Amino acid sequence: MANLRDIKKRIGSVQSTRQITRTMEMVATAKIKKAQERIEAARPYAMSMMEVLGNVARFAKAASHPLLLKHDKRERVVVIACTSDRGLAGAFNSNVIRLAEDVSRDEKAAGAQVDFVTVGKKAAGYFRYRGIEPIAAYRDISDKPTFSDAKSIAAHVIPGYSAGEIDAVFIVFNRFKNVAEQRPEIYQLLPIEREVMHEAADDVEAAAVSAEYMFEPSAESVLELLLPTYVETLIYRALMESAASEHGARRTAMKSATDNASEMITTLTRSYNRARQASITQEIAEIVGGAAALED
Amino acid sequence: MTERTLMCEIVTPERIVYTNEVRMVVAPAIDGEVGVLPLHAPLVSALRAGEVRVRYGDGDRDVEWFAVSGGYIQVHEDKVIILADHALAASQIDVERAKQALDHAQTRMAEVDESAKHEVDVDELDRELKWCEVQLEVGRHRS
Repeated sequence: MANLRDIKKRIGSVQSTRQITRTMEMVATAKIKKAQERIEAARPYAMSMMEVLGNVARFAKAASHPLLLKHDKRERVVVIACTSDRGLAGAFNSNVIRLAEDVSRDEKAAGAQVDFVTVGKKAAGYFRYRGIEPIAAYRDISDKPTFSDAKSIAAHVIPGYSAGEIDAVFIVFNRFKNVAEQRPEIYQLLPIEREVMHEAADDVEAAAVSAEYMFEPSAESVLELLLPTYVETLIYRALMESAASEHGARRTAMKSATDNASEMITTLTRSYNRARQASITQEIAEIVGGAAALED
Repeated sequence: MTERTLMCEIVTPERIVYTNEVRMVVAPAIDGEVGVLPLHAPLVSALRAGEVRVRYGDGDRDVEWFAVSGGYIQVHEDKVIILADHALAASQIDVERAKQALDHAQTRMAEVDESAKHEVDVDELDRELKWCEVQLEVGRHRS
């Protein structure tokens, strides 16, 4: 039977661990709510944006913008991997990294060079450890991404794509399904699928808005300005979903850690009591034995 | 008779900055200001960095000023939507901070000119500069 004092020490240490995991769980819960509110706050902009895009697309259907153009070659692909700065969030980061690696492997097999843009220290650390230097590494933004961050990330890929140096851009992130479920997802940012444009146009038409719009300076030039912004909002959205997912994943991880700690404390307390009981019994037996020896 | 009004919304990716029933909206379109009154024809236009004026009442002082960093305006059936990367009401502008940011951006711009130019950075800086200037400009209308 383990030493009484050792068990007591274990209990103390597990208890303080539980204290920490429980606090982290509560902090994560509070942060999920904030992150969700931010996603909500971005919705009006995204919706209005799609409406404008739809209107423009109706009048500039034939327009060929570099960001809509599919490249014939596929020599260089950029993958944007959204992870967190901190760990202790279950499989949150490894899911994204695995997905990014899968894409990278497929693209390499097809003969393309793959570069990474990383968000969060975890992805940067993972790739650097393997001798892959990301073309850009963002940190300290994954918790509270701003639109400027998204713009800055977009600036690494949009000019390159327009100039024909990059042939496809993907973003990998955890989609926030609900508080308990986050699903790693990959999305093709560039080239922008033409269907997106057509759908937006159809939605506007379905809304029976048959107005003849005036465009200034022209439908084509508005489109030209609008498409990069569209890509930026997609990135912004992914960053926010990733932030919400991070807290969701951490909450789940910390909840099970807290539960495990509680269970462990119960077992340890039980063995502590058993050991204490055993030592008392032994002492009594010894005293009784000693007394019996004196009587004779 | 109640006058016809416009529904005006100023939205950034991060939040809704302003939404109200108004009489008139003036926005900085790429090639000149556009003024929007009720019954305006449907319009979509790109905006440059500049000031947006919203008249919500009859009085001379019933005007709100906003700084926007460029974006889009859509007018349709008495609804005006302004989409901007950044937008601030005049009362929200931190003039001191904008001044500092402007100084900072100018210094960096000067440095960039000397060393090798990287296109992305210059564009970005240029936008930053304009945005600071607009904030300072609109900041004067703080009441």
